[in-house]
Amino acid sequence: MTRDSAAPEVRVRDLTVVYKTPAGELPAVSGVSLTLTPGTITGVVGESGSGKSTLALSLLNAVQPPGRIAAGSVEIDGLGDVLHLGGEDLRRTRGRKVGYVFQAAQSSLNPLKTVGKQLLDLGRSHDVADLRALVADAKALLARMGLDGARVLDSHQHELSGGMRQRVGIMLALVLNAQVVVLDEPTTALDMITQATILRIIREVHEERALTTLVITHDVGAVAEVADDLAVMYGGRVVEHGPIAEVLGTPRHPYTQGLIRAIPRLSGDISLARALPGRPPTLGTLPVAGCVFRERCDKRMEICETVEPETVTYDGRTVACHAAGRPAPVKRREYA
Amino acid sequence: MTKAVRDRPRGTALARRVAGHVVRGLVMIWVVATISFVIIREIPGDPVQGMYESLLQKGMSPDQAERATAVLYGFLPTGSLWDQYVGYMWSLLHFDLGRSLSTPGVAVTSLIGSAARWTVLPVLAGTLLSFLLGVIMGVYAAIKRSGKLGDLLALSGSLLHGIPVYVIGLLLTAIFTTLWPILPSGGPVDVAFVPGLNAGYIGSLIHHAVLPVVTYTLASYGGWILAMKSNVVAVLGDDFILAAELRGLKRGIVFRYLARNAILPLFTILALSIGMLFGGSIFIEEIFNYPGLGLLLVNSISTRDYALMGGTFLVITVGIVVANIVADLLYTAIDPRVRSGEAA
Repeated sequence: MTRDSAAPEVRVRDLTVVYKTPAGELPAVSGVSLTLTPGTITGVVGESGSGKSTLALSLLNAVQPPGRIAAGSVEIDGLGDVLHLGGEDLRRTRGRKVGYVFQAAQSSLNPLKTVGKQLLDLGRSHDVADLRALVADAKALLARMGLDGARVLDSHQHELSGGMRQRVGIMLALVLNAQVVVLDEPTTALDMITQATILRIIREVHEERALTTLVITHDVGAVAEVADDLAVMYGGRVVEHGPIAEVLGTPRHPYTQGLIRAIPRLSGDISLARALPGRPPTLGTLPVAGCVFRERCDKRMEICETVEPETVTYDGRTVACHAAGRPAPVKRREYA
Repeated sequence: MTKAVRDRPRGTALARRVAGHVVRGLVMIWVVATISFVIIREIPGDPVQGMYESLLQKGMSPDQAERATAVLYGFLPTGSLWDQYVGYMWSLLHFDLGRSLSTPGVAVTSLIGSAARWTVLPVLAGTLLSFLLGVIMGVYAAIKRSGKLGDLLALSGSLLHGIPVYVIGLLLTAIFTTLWPILPSGGPVDVAFVPGLNAGYIGSLIHHAVLPVVTYTLASYGGWILAMKSNVVAVLGDDFILAAELRGLKRGIVFRYLARNAILPLFTILALSIGMLFGGSIFIEEIFNYPGLGLLLVNSISTRDYALMGGTFLVITVGIVVANIVADLLYTAIDPRVRSGEAA
């Protein structure tokens, strides 16, 4: 773990994002608090619709309509509350300060322009004086990721493979020396070998450049490869958060336990892997009161029906569950 | 940067593509010419033979009648079908389309040439004007699609797209020549002026062209705005636009990404409609009594002027074939995916 003073801390506090639906405004993310420790990679896992991508977009104040950030703050060291940025300030932050690797990096490039021209567009948008140096940086980054920089810069999107496009996406997020990088599903839709390569690259570049990185994925296995910390999301809430080895080793939330049980093992009986019963909630089926996970929970209690579990922190880990035992004196250690 | 390295293979591929198109286009033109020859020769009541015989009946000697017919149609009526075909093709190669029946003695080419003057400019102006207007308004309608202005623009598109061109033409005529008579009702130019580069003549030309051009613009504007709006909406939903915004690209650059991707499919339609303009616009030319290609075609049909008909068809064919080639080359120039031959 490289802890570098240059890496900024990211503090998400009580973030609530709602989506406008025919049934009114429904929360996709409700009251999420999450701190990204400087210089670490934090993984966020969760099923489809758990609010992962919405959380990721919130870090750039880029929630798309019909979504709307209803409450909360996203503080980044040196930038202040991103949610209060707008117009040109916000635009300059995106790309330059916070790099974003798109969920669908396969199609995140303009099909009509070469990668090089889009790189120059990026440089001009952020008033880079020395475009030559920018191109050199880009080539170095691409070479770092095992690509022929000159050739890639001279290519159009359709001339690149999925893994190559993904690396181009990472290059574009890093080339302006952003210190915070958000990767939304960076390995989805890639084959196993490419996945492993991309994850290795993320880890290496992260350590080289002393970044604060957020990796969103639904693949627990993938995130275990790279992350230092792990946040588990369910129904728009962070239900558990802590150092990855501890979260995966001794999961406290029944949902985390279920997720880990659902992973098939390479050795041993495949039938040991048990899928979580039921389906993840959608915006419309989220319970209004009580615990959002209770419908699928094997430790369900009476209190879960009416009271939403508070997020408690102890031993450097947070968990939001009535069933997860709370130690007598609550230590107020910041790890939200 | 390393452009030169890549341009070489691209250059030869382009040359091969152009050559292929030219060959296919020539074959197409030859097929249409052959069909129009066969139609003129084999149509019931054979106009060539009929002409020859009617001249005989008028008391001409067979020799004279044969020569007179040959002058009109460009080939001898008495030879074998093959001889006639060869003769027809030979004169075609010399840009000789025969002579008109309805305007006796005048070469078909010169009739088409003088009609083209009255068609090409107004229809070209109308096409380009409606394209520009439709594209700009389409972008606007797409961006403001959730507001009143967007609804209004889309509605104007649907409405104008739905109204037949002759209704628009007649409505405009009624308004601007009768209710509020500020524009001439028909004809290409005021005969009082001496043709030439003088202000009066040119002013009169423009004055007379206003109604046809506006009619044409309004008639095709609807299609452009609707197509552009749906393209822009589709591209707005594409991932790379959001990705560009998340990379903090300037608004102007994001807009260029959007516009270029949305307008691309329209260029093919534009090139084709410019090709179609050699057919003239029959309704508009009828309504405004504009002596263009459309009117020429209608007149040739009603007077059974087969040589003129065949010639007009041939010109329309050539126009469309050339437009097709231009459309494809244009696409090659602006869409890199076509250039490398991945997507056709």
